[in-house]
Amino acid sequence: MTVDARPTPVPDERSAPFWKAASEHVLTVAQCGVCRAFAHPPDVVCPHCGSTDPQFTFTPVSGRGTVRSWTVVRRSFLPGFDVPYLLVDVELFEQTDLRLIGRLLDGPDVPLQVGTAVRVAFEDLAPGVAVPAFSLEGSS
Amino acid sequence: MSTPFASRNGVAIVGYAQSAIEKHSTKSLGALTVDTARDAIGDAGLNVDMVDGFVTGSLFPTAGSHAAEDGVSLVSANWLAQRLGVNPRYAAGFQGFGQIPGAVSLAVNAVASGAANYVLMHRSLHNPKGTYHGNIMREARGSQQWTAPQGYFGPISMIALPYNEYLQRYGASRDAMATVLVEARKNGARIPWSYWHGQPLSREDYLSAEMISDPICRYDCDIPVDGAAAFVFTSADRARDLPHRPVYVSGFATGSPTTNRLPLHWPLDDIMGVGAETAKRLWSSSGLVPSDVDLPQLYDGFSPFVYFWLEALGFCPEGEAHRFVEDGGIDSDRPGGLPVLSGGGALGNGRMHGIPQMLECYLQLSRRAGDRQREQASIGLACHSSPHFGGAVAYSADR
Repeated sequence: MTVDARPTPVPDERSAPFWKAASEHVLTVAQCGVCRAFAHPPDVVCPHCGSTDPQFTFTPVSGRGTVRSWTVVRRSFLPGFDVPYLLVDVELFEQTDLRLIGRLLDGPDVPLQVGTAVRVAFEDLAPGVAVPAFSLEGSS
Repeated sequence: MSTPFASRNGVAIVGYAQSAIEKHSTKSLGALTVDTARDAIGDAGLNVDMVDGFVTGSLFPTAGSHAAEDGVSLVSANWLAQRLGVNPRYAAGFQGFGQIPGAVSLAVNAVASGAANYVLMHRSLHNPKGTYHGNIMREARGSQQWTAPQGYFGPISMIALPYNEYLQRYGASRDAMATVLVEARKNGARIPWSYWHGQPLSREDYLSAEMISDPICRYDCDIPVDGAAAFVFTSADRARDLPHRPVYVSGFATGSPTTNRLPLHWPLDDIMGVGAETAKRLWSSSGLVPSDVDLPQLYDGFSPFVYFWLEALGFCPEGEAHRFVEDGGIDSDRPGGLPVLSGGGALGNGRMHGIPQMLECYLQLSRRAGDRQREQASIGLACHSSPHFGGAVAYSADR
């Protein structure tokens, strides 16, 4: 690993299926086995029905959503990120207030509005390690 | 449910001390805190062996690769009691955000319940050498796996997202925030112990400053410092025999959201929604309404918190804070202006968390503010952190 490598996720017992799917460029979200609602991040208790045995399954989702907010990061506090870059706070279509935050890969100067449509994209960090990000809906 | 505070004005602050506020102290944080605690106890007219309660919220608020070491980078209540040679009847630490109202509530409840007679509340903050929030993390584990590999890290991006939401939703501009910074630094420049003493900030300097995470620039963030502050609390009855005019606690409120979120994800609707509950609790607890407050000291560790608190507490309608500020609404030198940053806040003093707000309430209400003394200073409010993750304490000069 180079000095400037970005931090990589360390899958744990709960998150391993998420990162396995991500490595295949499939976005999944934990779905509660009791109430079927999505939860991100997956917690030990389902935030919707309160089950302490939510038996989450990581279910593939569309990866489509809308921008709720954004920021252009101009100073990185982590290694390995070239600045500036755009971060977007995205609400996924699958469920009200189901939010993911990630980089928008179309460049730091893309004009955005609340409601701009985006879809998931993946950044390959290392063999078998990919991290979800976003790109503008309709961009290649 | 929101209920009145049963010991309203029954517990008082009777003394205080604050260390020098410096970029890096020559003393260790622990030693600085011991000095400050002894000074505060002396200021209250007490001896160390009379203090039987110790409280704080000791969190070292950094995202950086720094060790959290008691007495070095943070100071817990038990650490301090031991170094002062006290076996306390009561020692406690507040674990949430909003360490100042959280710790004050511990102190007040301890006195009101009789768990302790004299409680020392302190807050110690450390600025390590090198980068404050920078982190050399190679692997993201636990909750950080959901954000750090994705490039979302640290409190500056955290506040940038809801601040941008605010700008977009209400058509506000960054220019309006220059007024907040000019006000904070104007007042900070007048305060001898401030990091920014003698250094006001111009609108032009604010608007041309380096951007860190749009729309947040460097001056929207308070500057990290080494510093410690301590206050002594006791019952209103015991306070009568002590040298300084007591400042009574009328009520307090804290809160925290129930929504499961990514780490450091603070959407504007969470801030304002839970903030409204915090405000309701505060008014119920204290029996006050916004127009009663002479000194609403709003938290400003990041400048957008000033807007959020102005609106959450009802000092202006939601979405209007940027206009209220631009129209001179928070100019503490203007008759009729709301002195929300008269104590300089964190932006005008340095990263002392909610201490500048609490100290300004104490100094003004006890009539110990010297040449900064304001005529109209009977009811104060000291806020800390975000309206949805922090809280506020209401103080009264009269019982």
